[in-house]
Amino acid sequence: MERYGRADGVLVDSIGHLWAAFSPSSGETTLLNDESAAILEVLEAGESDTAGVCAALAEDSGIDAQEFVEAVAGGWPRLLEAGLVNRQTDTTAAW
Amino acid sequence: MTGAVTPRDVPALLEIGSERLDRMLATTGLWLDIGAATIRVRSDSPAFGTQLRAVYGYFPAIENAPWADLHVRIRKSTGVRRWLKPQATFHCDGLQTFDPFPGASPLPLFEWGCNWLIGRRLNDRLLLHAGAVERDGFALVLPAMPGSGKSTLTAALSQRGWRLLSDEFGAYDPSVGMFQAVLKPIALKNESIAAVRRFAPGAVIGPEFPKTRKGTVAHVAPNSDAVMRCSEYARPGAIVLPRWEAGASTRLEPLTQSSVFPALAFNAFNYSLLGGDGFRSVVRLVRQCLSWQLVYGDLEEALGALESIWPRVLEHRMAGPL
Repeated sequence: MERYGRADGVLVDSIGHLWAAFSPSSGETTLLNDESAAILEVLEAGESDTAGVCAALAEDSGIDAQEFVEAVAGGWPRLLEAGLVNRQTDTTAAW
Repeated sequence: MTGAVTPRDVPALLEIGSERLDRMLATTGLWLDIGAATIRVRSDSPAFGTQLRAVYGYFPAIENAPWADLHVRIRKSTGVRRWLKPQATFHCDGLQTFDPFPGASPLPLFEWGCNWLIGRRLNDRLLLHAGAVERDGFALVLPAMPGSGKSTLTAALSQRGWRLLSDEFGAYDPSVGMFQAVLKPIALKNESIAAVRRFAPGAVIGPEFPKTRKGTVAHVAPNSDAVMRCSEYARPGAIVLPRWEAGASTRLEPLTQSSVFPALAFNAFNYSLLGGDGFRSVVRLVRQCLSWQLVYGDLEEALGALESIWPRVLEHRMAGPL
């Protein structure tokens, strides 16, 4: 499964009912919904994949992990495009 | 950038003779302390001194200062252009960066050129594209696109007890978390000139310049209080997004933080350039300030609406972190 890490130096702050995120690598500012902001918060602890993020969100919220799968899986492209996360290279594959 | 320390005993431009001003402009130059920056201007344009004095009349006539952020020259045309459709040209640091203006219009060229330079160079501030006025130590910031009535509203406020900070730049200093003046005359266009004349017959408005690229323009002079206090900072107070609509009844509607954020960030001159500092500054502003959208068709009503929310703004700001 594809793994993702939070890009270096990303800033995330709540602004009312949305979140604003700034990527120093792309220079882009993006407005995020709660789900996308939550993904970035989980990735602050280290790289992860869809299942790992869903599990972390489930643990935090008490909601079944399956409930998050669609939002998390669908959130990666936007986060990648905004320079907020990076796709991680799987270094174990060569072994 | 820093504004110069203005000596209190220096006479204002209105208090010195036109010959002396012309001589200053033609030789060492005039230093204009506009708050967030100092402009040194020199000129040999015959019309410039009179026009400058009409709208910078309360500014001190500083003949020499140790530092200027912008070094500007307004030059009259040479060669055959001296006689045939004379022109005025704008120079900064020895470079002529803009197309010439008609020789009779050096003031709009100076104003336009300086605003362009400020927007490019004052990058230790977050420069919101906004009018800004101050009262009770707090700034009322009016971010808007051209044509929204921002300058007209700023001019009206400046004539009713609000201290003018700028009609073009909401200059937020991230290092202190406050706004600073970028004090220049307020540029009015076309119908807004007559609107401000009607609203405030006592307003000092300079000559009208027809047929500029923006139509007819004229400038409202900052009053003496704004000039004297141009180095005073103002804490963030409220953000109001104005929109003028002919015949509209005044509507003042609260805005969410998430709708104000893009209006500040993506309408700023240098948000992207400031990177994380710009982001943090805008987040801080939208969290600190109450925000509204103001739709107006009448200046008296618009000012009444802004006056009515101000006590609430003060209460909100006093209750939270300054």
